[in-house]
Amino acid sequence: MNISLGMLSESGNVIERLQALGTAQDQLNDPDYWSTVGIISLTGILVVFLILAILIFFFWLMGTIFRAVDKKKAAKKAAPKTEIKPAAAVAQTAAVEEEADDEEEIVAVISAAIAAFSEAEGTSYTIRSIKKHKDTRARSAWNMAGISGNMQKL
Amino acid sequence: MEIFQSTIQGLFETSGFNGLGIREIIMIFLSFVLFFLAIVKQYEPLLMLPIAFGMLLTNLPLTGLYHPELWDPATNPYFAPEYIEQGANIFVNFTKETSLDYGRVLHDGGLLDMLYLGVKLQIYPPLIFLGIGSMTDFGPLIANPKSFLLGAAAQGGIFFTFLGACLLNLTGIAPFTLKEAASIAIIGGADGPTAIYLTSKLAPQLLGSIAVAAYSYMALVPVIQPPIMKALTTEKERAVKMGQLREVSKLEKVVFPIAVTIIVSLIVPSAAPLVGILMFGNLLKESGVCDRLVKTAQNELMNIVTIFLGITVGATAVANNFLSWKTIFIIVLGLIAFCVGTACGVLLGKLMYLISGKKINPLIGSAGVSAVPMAARVSQKVGAQTNPSNFLLMHAMGPNVAGVIGSAVAAGVLLSVLG
Repeated sequence: MNISLGMLSESGNVIERLQALGTAQDQLNDPDYWSTVGIISLTGILVVFLILAILIFFFWLMGTIFRAVDKKKAAKKAAPKTEIKPAAAVAQTAAVEEEADDEEEIVAVISAAIAAFSEAEGTSYTIRSIKKHKDTRARSAWNMAGISGNMQKL
Repeated sequence: MEIFQSTIQGLFETSGFNGLGIREIIMIFLSFVLFFLAIVKQYEPLLMLPIAFGMLLTNLPLTGLYHPELWDPATNPYFAPEYIEQGANIFVNFTKETSLDYGRVLHDGGLLDMLYLGVKLQIYPPLIFLGIGSMTDFGPLIANPKSFLLGAAAQGGIFFTFLGACLLNLTGIAPFTLKEAASIAIIGGADGPTAIYLTSKLAPQLLGSIAVAAYSYMALVPVIQPPIMKALTTEKERAVKMGQLREVSKLEKVVFPIAVTIIVSLIVPSAAPLVGILMFGNLLKESGVCDRLVKTAQNELMNIVTIFLGITVGATAVANNFLSWKTIFIIVLGLIAFCVGTACGVLLGKLMYLISGKKINPLIGSAGVSAVPMAARVSQKVGAQTNPSNFLLMHAMGPNVAGVIGSAVAAGVLLSVLG
């Protein structure tokens, strides 16, 4: 980097002298013209490459560190459960599988309900995500059914 | 009757018809061509249309909207007040910028002169970069930092054309000074604001022709690039499918603009106005806490500055400057710069294809010229022509946004050497 900029600063005086000549023809007649043009072209592209190479190194390093940290975090989360109780872990994975199956069923049921509802409304829907309601004070499905039943017009 | 005659004669003498020469008529016709390109062909209409209208306004005689003589230190030099008080008009030749009498510009200038201050004082291009930064996702570049290399390679067109413009001096037809050669060469960066920024500093007399050439070629990216890309690659290379890019965390996206600003500004301080403001816009976006500012930078501010920039750059295309051999050479050299830049990107892409064990598609190299996102779309399109199931867009966005940084750095290097 310093070498490249050094080359430029060394030729700085020549460039200043060339610029002071004013017209292009006078610059062309100067004996240092072509060497200056060559140095500017070569050093210019080298400096661009060098700066972007520094950026590559920096962001490669940053990416490597971030991935390593992420891996460690993931390993920490996964490790204790499997090591302490292997039998329980097997049961747990089975439970997770079962839960996943259940979830699929729930998604299918919710989708079917919304599809039926959308048919009634005459519009189409796209289900992007289904999330569990975090509010513990929320009414249960049975309560909701009761309320909606009681609030229907007589 | 005599009074009537003299009134009509007076009206004619003060009308624009009286000052209308053949050169002005040609320039007005050229503005019509640009109208056609902007409205019918839709070549970069957001900038081409204001440029065309600025060109029309400035070439209508006696409108007094823009005065080129006010922007030439030879006709509007700055005299230090302390010397004027002493009765001696001593020309103060600090630099080209300070030697201009801005007081006279404010006193005698027209509407477009006032707006042109934003170009002359290098305000508009960085503000455009603020908007670009707030719209750009550097994620693909962070996920694959090697893309920076392709962004650097595509700047080869700039320095090749600088050499070419100087070689052209040997013909003696239209000699370019070193500053003019550098301003023409920056067209190869395919970045309008950067080209305007550098030219307004180094060769303001060429601003109109360089801006028109730069935006025309940016609009013609889908026409210019594919033949070069196909000529330099084999079908097998074009068909390479690249792996999924890794997910980039928010922290990385926040660190990116800060790190780029520090690194680039420390090495090439003259690139800081472009790169720094580009990264500031990006930080506003990625921080996620400045929604209102991001919306302003992306929309209102960007649109206002685009109008001011376009119309004033067009206004600099006065007949005396524009109608010359230099303009023709600028258009030819600009095309060469663009083609060489594309070729350099593709060739480095080919090298990376070989080094990476045929995992990198060389087509993404052409996106290193920074016409965002057009150049990346062209990579995607040419790749899909060979293999319809190939999706290169996100991979090409890496070199594409790296090209924006690369061309700003190249402009900074030229500015530090020749400015």
